[in-house]
Amino acid sequence: MWWWRGRVRRVTGAAQPTVRTGLAGVGIGWRPEIAGFVAELPGLRFVEVIAESIPPTGPLPPGLDTLRDDGVVVVPHGVRLSLGGAEPVEADRVARLVRAVERTGAPLVSEHVAFVRAGGLEAGHLLPLPRTRAAVAATVANVRRTQADLPVPIALEPIAALFDWPDDELDEAAFLTEILDQTGALLLLDLANVYANARNRGTDPVALLDRLPLDRIAYVHVAGGAEDGGFYHDTHTDPLPSAVLDLVGELCARRSRPPLLLERDGRYPPAADLRTELDALATAAGHPVIT
Amino acid sequence: MSGSGADDLAARQAALVAALVTGGPVPPGFRSAPWEAARAALLRKRAGEVARHWPLLAAGLGALWVPSFTDWAARRPTQGGLRDGWDFARHLRDRAQLPTLGADELAAREATGRYDGHTTPRPRRFPALGRAAGAVAVGFAGRVRLLRAAPRPPAP
Repeated sequence: MWWWRGRVRRVTGAAQPTVRTGLAGVGIGWRPEIAGFVAELPGLRFVEVIAESIPPTGPLPPGLDTLRDDGVVVVPHGVRLSLGGAEPVEADRVARLVRAVERTGAPLVSEHVAFVRAGGLEAGHLLPLPRTRAAVAATVANVRRTQADLPVPIALEPIAALFDWPDDELDEAAFLTEILDQTGALLLLDLANVYANARNRGTDPVALLDRLPLDRIAYVHVAGGAEDGGFYHDTHTDPLPSAVLDLVGELCARRSRPPLLLERDGRYPPAADLRTELDALATAAGHPVIT
Repeated sequence: MSGSGADDLAARQAALVAALVTGGPVPPGFRSAPWEAARAALLRKRAGEVARHWPLLAAGLGALWVPSFTDWAARRPTQGGLRDGWDFARHLRDRAQLPTLGADELAAREATGRYDGHTTPRPRRFPALGRAAGAVAVGFAGRVRLLRAAPRPPAP
């Protein structure tokens, strides 16, 4: 019953201080296309950058170095480690992530509970894991291999998935909790993913919030999406739906003022629209406005 | 869970990725509608990544970009946005279907990079000409200049 011990400890440990990461307020995913917009946000305290886009040598992308030098926290966000793969995480990819930490001075990194390649083929996308004990074991082993080299904590993000494996042994909350308990990793909770999965599966997103270890949250993702072909797609290229903003409110009723980060990956709107979304997030969570 | 659990997981993950990126049948036990939605979304995302590497090729195809690229890519595992676009541009060139903007872009890439179709393209060390569908570009010292644009179709 080792997994049950973790639960009891978490319940009785409710008085523990929340996770200390140096992250606060509202942040935004830094992308080269919106570097100018991000640079002009006066209250910005943290950004996230795709870890694989940080060159191991040579200059950092223009604008990112300025943010770092201005004291904005830069969090490398990996998308290609394939931590949920049955194959061991590749050492050179871990080394590259460590290098990204060194170059950005990041207090933590994040990656996904997912796999992106198998059998020598790249999926080109984050794929869901079967929620089985074998998948827990594989993910835990890879997270531990990564942690062994990382000088900072890692936060793990559950993904949005359009399909599920047919033979789950655990539900989503139990699956994630086991991985977090066994690795000591932090949680990067993506509320847009929570919303997308619940809507596509016909389940209640708030019920999932009530079962996740919210005290392990390092920060929170929000993003826009769109309905297409009977499915809700977490596109990161559409406006933030009010339902996701409502989930921010539900989360903040359960965990005080989590750091929030807006992800936008394309079809960039006018700056005023992005500012409106950032302001809405600040208001929903009781954070200072950063625009 | 024993080692066989890990072996089983590896085999099932490999089978899933292979089915997803080579257009194989829906794996046993998976619901087909979510599977097909995921495959279509993956191909659209891939088209967007390739368009970032090959903006003129994508612009030249306009509204046909996503359907034509995803149709070509559905049975071909990705090799990354640069190579996917290069392969697709050559595919169109060989069928005389390359749009003029795409021809200009392919000629420029052929002039500055050496790509064998199988491994990562490498920068050319010496000046070279690149040609595609009537477009001619010259590459030297990492720079490229279009010597002749692909012939534009007559105005309607």
